[in-house]
Amino acid sequence: VIAADALLAAALATPVAMLAACVSRRLRDRMPALLAFAPVPALAAALLAPGSAPLVSFPPPLRMTLTLDVPAAMLLGTAALLWIIAGAYCATYLRGEPNAARFAEWWLLTLAGSLGVFMAADLVSFYLTYSVVSLAAYGLIAHDGTPGSRRAGTVYVALAVLGEALLLMGFVFMAEATPNGSLLIRDAVAALPGSPWRDASLALLILGFGLKIGLVPGHVWMPLAYTAAPTPAASVLSGAAVKAGVIGLIRFLPFGVPMPAWGEALATAGMFSAFYGVAVGITQENPRTVLAYSSVSQMGLLAAVLGMGWAAGDPGATLGASFSAANHILVKGALFLAIGVAAAAGPRLWPVLFPASILAMGLGGLPLTGGALAKLAVKAELGNGLVGVLAALSAAGSALLMLHFLRCLVTCRTTNTDTAPPAGLAWPWLAIAFAAIAVPWILYPVTGSGTRFDALVSGTVWSAVWPVLLGIVLFGGLWHWGSKLPRVPEGDIVLPGEAALRKTAPWGEAIERADRWLRQWPVASLSLLMLAIILGAAMLAWR
Amino acid sequence: MPHSTTAGGFLLVLAIVLPVIGVLLALLLGGRHAERVALAVMPFGLVVAVAIAASVWNSRQVLQYVIGGWDPPLGVALRADGLSAAMMVTAALLIPAIGLVARAQFPTPPGAEARASLVFWTLLLAVWGALNAVFLGADLFNLYVALELLTFAAVPLVCLDGRAETLAAALRYLLFALLGSILYLLGAAQLYGAYGTLDIALLSGRIRPEPVAWAALSLMTAGLLAKAALYPLHLWLPPAHAGAPAPASAVLSGLVVKAPFFLVVRLWFDVMPRLPDYAAAQVLGIPAAAAILFGSVLALRQVRLKLLIAYSTVAQIGYLFLIFPLSGGGQMGQPWGTTAWTGGVLQAISHAFAKTAMFMAAGLVYEALGHDRISGLAGIGRALPITVFALGLGGMSLMGLPPSGGFVAKAMLLTAAVGEGKWWWALVVLVGGVLAGGYVFLVLARALADPTEPLALRANISRTRQLVVFALALFAVLLGFVPLRPWELLLIGRPDAAIMGLK
Repeated sequence: VIAADALLAAALATPVAMLAACVSRRLRDRMPALLAFAPVPALAAALLAPGSAPLVSFPPPLRMTLTLDVPAAMLLGTAALLWIIAGAYCATYLRGEPNAARFAEWWLLTLAGSLGVFMAADLVSFYLTYSVVSLAAYGLIAHDGTPGSRRAGTVYVALAVLGEALLLMGFVFMAEATPNGSLLIRDAVAALPGSPWRDASLALLILGFGLKIGLVPGHVWMPLAYTAAPTPAASVLSGAAVKAGVIGLIRFLPFGVPMPAWGEALATAGMFSAFYGVAVGITQENPRTVLAYSSVSQMGLLAAVLGMGWAAGDPGATLGASFSAANHILVKGALFLAIGVAAAAGPRLWPVLFPASILAMGLGGLPLTGGALAKLAVKAELGNGLVGVLAALSAAGSALLMLHFLRCLVTCRTTNTDTAPPAGLAWPWLAIAFAAIAVPWILYPVTGSGTRFDALVSGTVWSAVWPVLLGIVLFGGLWHWGSKLPRVPEGDIVLPGEAALRKTAPWGEAIERADRWLRQWPVASLSLLMLAIILGAAMLAWR
Repeated sequence: MPHSTTAGGFLLVLAIVLPVIGVLLALLLGGRHAERVALAVMPFGLVVAVAIAASVWNSRQVLQYVIGGWDPPLGVALRADGLSAAMMVTAALLIPAIGLVARAQFPTPPGAEARASLVFWTLLLAVWGALNAVFLGADLFNLYVALELLTFAAVPLVCLDGRAETLAAALRYLLFALLGSILYLLGAAQLYGAYGTLDIALLSGRIRPEPVAWAALSLMTAGLLAKAALYPLHLWLPPAHAGAPAPASAVLSGLVVKAPFFLVVRLWFDVMPRLPDYAAAQVLGIPAAAAILFGSVLALRQVRLKLLIAYSTVAQIGYLFLIFPLSGGGQMGQPWGTTAWTGGVLQAISHAFAKTAMFMAAGLVYEALGHDRISGLAGIGRALPITVFALGLGGMSLMGLPPSGGFVAKAMLLTAAVGEGKWWWALVVLVGGVLAGGYVFLVLARALADPTEPLALRANISRTRQLVVFALALFAVLLGFVPLRPWELLLIGRPDAAIMGLK
């Protein structure tokens, strides 16, 4: 048990310690080459600790409590794996980059939050790690310092801060409703169904986490951020960091208590996102933007799974959903690295394109891939009714979107090298591609939805194949008539949003004018007297 | 017997006398020695403050000293409860830190002319002595004197550089503060006329809910609000706090504005402990909310760093005054009342550290660049990484991000608002946090960006000064490691009902 405690602590402490080591200039300059080591203890914890360490408490003044149940361990392990491989990719990617050390610092901070949030067991630790992963990501998104990346960073931070305010309020409601002043998430969730502020808490949680996972219309930051961020950063942000919102929904929603209205509302919002992401994604030409819209779609589907499970009061939904999320961590992380490797590759593109095609089509549920297993794992939640059909159609949409992605990957390359990509980029790519195919097969039995053999049964195979075939047919249509589609700017409704925000400028000017007026002597003196009179009158009138 | 000198009571006298001796010595020895005198006094002052806090904590009792053995109402008493002790330690940590950073800015000059140095160092000690007198005063007239001393020590700090602009700002500050003093004195006179004493302990036993008491308390409160610059009475704050030399701004924004707030707390919780239950407490919440919302928006719209930080002070003062609407509505005995009270005080302390650090960081940036235009900050993050890190940590506390002290304070205010069902105050706190996030981000994003052309630094900033500023900001963050529960130290000397509320 002590070993498990130590592993959890080390998982969080290692990136923090490496960040602290950046105080030394010598270590700071070497840090970009060492990033792959930071998440190693987390991977070890995910492999060795789950179940054996129900709750690890650190004494005051830290007062952090960590835990690692099976859904969290799946997310932690796969996220750590992605962080390791993307960290190895960074070592080569950052070579010769003038701001490499600064990038490494933001990387380590984001990493600490991203892995910590999977383990946090109390409200304060969760809020802390969640804030760290959310806000530190700004440093990665805005790293390039171009106007585009600065804008992406600003939009991102604005929505992240908004989401955190919503969550803070939700957490305060939950803490107030928890008996005995416990701050443990499990106690707070147990008390939630009977809370006098139940609906307010749930609304705040769903809005806050919805912004993080990009539920439409809270998705606008995703296309901007993933397009602007450097390749390895986009990989870990879209793969690992976004799962902070997923673990939030898994940890905080009371799955054991059926709440059909709330569950179906979440599922509806999720399903809408799933189709919206595909619809806007196919109008994009930048492969990174296409992948970002695919994330909007995939996270929407995940929200739909969780919503349906919650509506039915099925706690098992969290296992299937976290398996599906774990698959997405690896696949999405891998595909972003593929963009980077493809850009550095010469004419011999197949070592990139072939694995990338398998992974991409896996998101559409191609048989024998992790995506097909993920579909099986959440089958019980989605069922065979309307929602099941919609989910299958969204898989067809995903297949379509991924074919579009592969096409963009090939056509949008502006490379003029004739050489193979550097080994330091190629190996991490192959490693993550392999992991994205193999790991889901290893993890599948943990979900308890059946055996690996189920995925090979002919009925299952057919139900996985037809959406892919439909996607291929649709892609034929897109190929033919795609030029007629309207050009949607990346971030779609972010433009009207920004315009609306600019319209508030007159308010700010009005507040400034009011400030100048109030700060005149006669006005301020009169305000002082009025305040004295009003206070006196208030004491006199209402006690 | 409520009035008798307790063991260790002499420490209270020492806390006031030490800085005063320093002032006298500095004046006597002249500007060539003022700096040395001030720096020599500081460690002793810190020891005294810590000793007082330790004594209050160990005995779980109020520390008291009756001057000359004359019992109130004839004589005057000094009194240190948990709140005084916490505020005194805060001041005793901040003043020496400010002194360390200010040494390079107000050095003892080689020639005979040493006026700026003399004025700064004596005023710094005078502010400290006056603050301690405010924190320890147990008598409303004594407190008036202490508050005036504080104002007269603080005002010249604004115009140390002697520019016309800062002189005007100082005069503005002085006149409005005097207006506030008049109202305070008027109220105090009414209380004396009606109840025959100004000793807080005696007064709280005699005061009755009647018009004369209400008139007196509302006049005194309004007068103190003017000195605390609660919106819309903030006309003097932005020019004064932004125009003063950075170490002076730090003293003014970090510590001086907390003194009138402290006195309003004394009036509302000690002189008339039932006052926060009145609807008037909700009325007091309105300017507090306006301060948070408008102050933050105004901070967002500033183009100069020091003005941005000054408007952020306007906003943060608003959070302090939320303590009144959130503590009322029931009895102080309710747990939420105690939570709000602790949250408000913790906000005062963590803001003191964060704001002191931020103003001094802004000062270092100004020294290095020769300006503090926010649009021209690009590259400063690489030139002065420690300073910008300090700005960021201070900003974190203002935004209320965990694990900072500002987070714990905000979480407690929110908890109190939810517990009492007054969600609208919670909304104000949240929106204020988002807006604070906006202005902190504005500064940091600029500071961390790459400059378009190489940054030319006007002056080299020593590492030591940067590290002191950083240590203060770090302390504001470390305050967040206090538990999310009412702080026991702060409750020492509160009415029993408050302690009961914890159970």
